[in-house]
Amino acid sequence: MFDFIIAGVQAPIFLLVLTGMTVGMVGGFIGVGGGYMVTPALIVFGFPGYMASGIDVTHIAGKSVVATIRHRQLGNIDWVLGLAMVGGTMMGVEMGVRLLNYTKSIGLSGIALLTGSVGIMVGLFLYTQIETHRAQKKIQELSREGKTVGRELSTSNIPKFFQSISLFPIIRCHVARIVISMWVVVLVGIATGTLAGFFGVGGGFIRVPALVYMVGATTHIAVGTDLLEIVVSGGYGALRHFASGNVDIIAVFFMIIGAMFGAQFGSIATSYVRGPAIRYILSYSLILATVGAFLRLVYMLSAQKYEFLNFFAVVFTLGEMIFLCLFILSLVYFAVRHRHGKWVPAWIPSLVVVQ
Amino acid sequence: MKSLLDSMAVYWCILLLFSLGAAGLIYIFWLKDALI
Repeated sequence: MFDFIIAGVQAPIFLLVLTGMTVGMVGGFIGVGGGYMVTPALIVFGFPGYMASGIDVTHIAGKSVVATIRHRQLGNIDWVLGLAMVGGTMMGVEMGVRLLNYTKSIGLSGIALLTGSVGIMVGLFLYTQIETHRAQKKIQELSREGKTVGRELSTSNIPKFFQSISLFPIIRCHVARIVISMWVVVLVGIATGTLAGFFGVGGGFIRVPALVYMVGATTHIAVGTDLLEIVVSGGYGALRHFASGNVDIIAVFFMIIGAMFGAQFGSIATSYVRGPAIRYILSYSLILATVGAFLRLVYMLSAQKYEFLNFFAVVFTLGEMIFLCLFILSLVYFAVRHRHGKWVPAWIPSLVVVQ
Repeated sequence: MKSLLDSMAVYWCILLLFSLGAAGLIYIFWLKDALI
């Protein structure tokens, strides 16, 4: 047990290191901050809610720098795309927060907001699942025909529509190999930022699918570019929380120690898999986070009367962290086995890259 | 066993149940008393 004086909490150090490592791994792999896992986990560890948010955002900012550096080395970051989008995202988050305050002032209930949030997350989960399943089938077909399949394959036609909008100025994203109107990128940033600010969900959840299905970036580029955005938005959030005294810097320090290793592993793991594998993990984390948040909210709305709901919410939060890490680890393990010509499950070859 | 793992959905379910079980055991035997 370590005495965190600023937060006034006693918690085991290795628990924080472990949480940082697992969330870092998931974040580096699918390009999200992971606040949906860290904040509830910290509350379970005994940190007060406001402190949990502050520690969460500050550790995310630090971890994203590590993951971004790794993704840059792997060639997964398009700076032009990221910088064009980050302005729109910041504007969108501000608009989302204002919209939330407005809906509260006109008396829209929390239940309606929750329903909207769950609806969007479930819709995104279903679309990602269906599209990724189609892409996986196509990869399997092409492989059967003896054709070489690259690292990415997407069956969505939506990017073609957005890329055909020829509104000045047109930007050339050399790394992502996209030529697109800057307004489209900015508007996608505003839209995803507004949703993130309004529903209080992590931006990465919505931005990564938006970058893939609207802008037309490959999943690897979407992950790297989104992490670049998280450095900016997380850094800003960390400064705000730090100024408000919501950050226990010692707790952040221990979490970042774990996150440094986790984020590097997660980022490097992307080089073992094809785009659809990342999209699968992203969609799993989407639905698991939704169920976890739903359980927590029902527990709060029921005036904390039913203890079993709290039990399931905590177990779900910890369980999804373990599940996502195990899935990423097993993908890398099977990818290595596949490279050595050993037995792997039938669905693995379509999701991993051979070299 | 190998043919079971050939289905991604089955693999997904086994992994999820294992993770939730592990999380449940961690909570019951350790977190509950040590932290709350």
